[in-house]
Amino acid sequence: MITLPRRLAHLVLALAIALAPALLSAPGAAAATTTASTTPAIASDVFPDPLRVGTEGVYAPFSIKQGDEFTGFDIDVMNEVGKRLGVEVEYVATPWDSMFAALGSGRFDIVANQVTASPEREQLYDLSDPYVETGGVLVVAEDNPKDITELADLKGKKAAENLTSSWREVAEEYGAEIVGVDGMTEAMANLKQGRVDAIVNDKLAVRNYIATSPDPGVKVVAETDDTAQSVFAAKKGSGYMPAINKALAEMEQDGTTQRIYDTYFAADVKAPTWWDLVKDNAGPMALAAITVTIPLTVLSFAIGLVLALIAAMGRMSHAALPRAIARTYISIIRGTPLLVQLYLIFFALPQMGVDLSPFPAAVIALSLNVGGYAAEVIRSAVESIPKGQWEAAQTIGMSRRTALRRIILPQAARTAVPPLSNTLISLVKDTSLTSIILVVEILRQAQFAAAPTFQFMAMYGLAAIYFWIICMVISIFQDRAEERFSRYVAV
Amino acid sequence: MSPSDAPVTAPGRAAAPGAPVVSARTIRKSFGEKDVLRDISFDVPEGGVTVVLGPSGSGKTTLLRSLGGLERPDAGVITIGGTTVDFADLTPNRHGRLPRAQREQEDALAAQTGFVFQGHNLFAHKTTLDNITEGPIVVQGEDPEAARERARVLLEQVGLSEHADKYPFQLSGGQQQRVGIARALAQRPAVVLFDEPTSALDPETVGEVLTVMRDLAEQSWTMVVVTHEIRFAREVADDVLFIDGGVVVERGAPEQVILEPQEPRTQAFLKRILDPL
Repeated sequence: MITLPRRLAHLVLALAIALAPALLSAPGAAAATTTASTTPAIASDVFPDPLRVGTEGVYAPFSIKQGDEFTGFDIDVMNEVGKRLGVEVEYVATPWDSMFAALGSGRFDIVANQVTASPEREQLYDLSDPYVETGGVLVVAEDNPKDITELADLKGKKAAENLTSSWREVAEEYGAEIVGVDGMTEAMANLKQGRVDAIVNDKLAVRNYIATSPDPGVKVVAETDDTAQSVFAAKKGSGYMPAINKALAEMEQDGTTQRIYDTYFAADVKAPTWWDLVKDNAGPMALAAITVTIPLTVLSFAIGLVLALIAAMGRMSHAALPRAIARTYISIIRGTPLLVQLYLIFFALPQMGVDLSPFPAAVIALSLNVGGYAAEVIRSAVESIPKGQWEAAQTIGMSRRTALRRIILPQAARTAVPPLSNTLISLVKDTSLTSIILVVEILRQAQFAAAPTFQFMAMYGLAAIYFWIICMVISIFQDRAEERFSRYVAV
Repeated sequence: MSPSDAPVTAPGRAAAPGAPVVSARTIRKSFGEKDVLRDISFDVPEGGVTVVLGPSGSGKTTLLRSLGGLERPDAGVITIGGTTVDFADLTPNRHGRLPRAQREQEDALAAQTGFVFQGHNLFAHKTTLDNITEGPIVVQGEDPEAARERARVLLEQVGLSEHADKYPFQLSGGQQQRVGIARALAQRPAVVLFDEPTSALDPETVGEVLTVMRDLAEQSWTMVVVTHEIRFAREVADDVLFIDGGVVVERGAPEQVILEPQEPRTQAFLKRILDPL
């Protein structure tokens, strides 16, 4: 009864892991804070303090998250701006495709992530003056199997692009068929593996990739005519821009911006080996497992079981209303993707005034999900107990409630342990989906390490091992529970 | 009487001397269109054993379940051990739920009975001893140690002392049914109701259950027994009720109803039972 939707959830999960870097790149629960030391405030009445800045954290070399620290070209520019404005700056790691939704729902105040100025964006958002000007380049695989040498060759070819990026529009203009990806890291991987024919992306980002990747496997064959200007974006009517533009102009004049630029685009950066990465990240990922993944699982399962019991009772009620409510709840939970439920709770509810932090939002979504699935498990387990057990309880004077608690549920538990263990194991793995609502769990932590280094196998392999270990431990407990519940039945 | 020796004989009841322990008056019950019980009335005196006979579908099990609180008659009055419910007065809602006061009255009536099921219905996840003490401890709030002591005496009475810590699946059918009887007795009921207690048993274990029941009758427990065991009825019953089509067709002493039945329906039934070929 539960196999189909569960499998679907796994499919989404598998897809999410496969597509990983940019799409799922939303760090987390804890927004790391970088404090810019304060000089006399220019406009403290206009700016919130701290100023919360949305950024990917997986877009090297513009936005990189290392441990709890954010670095990168855009980050350093933003820090300098903050310093000159006299406000503290706090970063909220957010996947690119959620960036403007999160800005709209007030998760942060401003975006610093290579936002390219465009007339459309100008209409929707407050944009700063440009702090860097760059251009697009056409990138193909080293062996260039489709022989693409100029942008016009894109016609009818497959180009990997971020769906909401301006490079996608450029590629589309030239007639390319767009394959949606979640960031440049993933785009490069697709290109090298021959799944797409070309990429149009930022010159600086591509140059950095080729310089720092141990085995780039791609080459630049052409540049776009027009240049792209990177700007900060805030909600319309923010009033931030005059002060920010003034700071940017000063930085331009005193050479600060150039200095930051040289740090990232002039120097050679050594690529770490996969073993270095594993050594550096095994600890933080274990920490993410212990402090986020496991508590998230345990809390959601406990709350979910209570919800499931209530829903199961509702389903078996004599009265029509509780039956209808329970049936609707179960139907909605099982009939909609967990990913959509997460988005609704985290991004849509704030628009109705309900603003939840990532971790509580994840607990709510996962608990509701467990409740919907486990309700049917519990109901069928209770209904599998012979009617005679209820009657025997009645003849010794038990109320229905006492009979349920003392006679029926303990026996139903035996039937329910294997399917509930399945639910629990699915839940462990489903926690990885919460990375999209900015929870820094195991997978998200792996993405931070994989994105700037392009070491997918090492980092996602390590993440897989962590999940596997947790699930194996659960299986051991499942065996024990089954053994315990089986002591009163003939084997 | 101390609790430890109390259960071996039937508890005395504070009813008027000579008043019946069980009194059923004009009991009616229908399931949808089908009238299962039609104006059934009978009494069981203190210490009396009434055996109910009848073909399948005659309504005898429904009658017993009505006495035990497992079915609710549509009309009629049942008095057991001094507690009376007039079913015509009950006002269940459309889900069958009663107002609180009425529900308590119904529960009080059921509490006067101990019920032995055809399929014993022991609690599969509890040991023999815990099956017997569950009601006294959890429902009646009896001191757990006293309840266990009483349960051991009951187990000895049904000959299962050495099986106190076993789970039901470790016992034979006959042993399970004897635990079921002990569980019913632990309720200190005014009357013990038996619903075809041997029908589901292997033939070789029927005897041990009937022996226990015969012992109970000798210890003056008040009993109502639905059964097809004609010999048991003849030897143990004080009163035999032959039911068919939801009415009492014939009643009287066993010698009379079983050996010299007056009604054609009784005669036909007994012939089928005693001489099935």
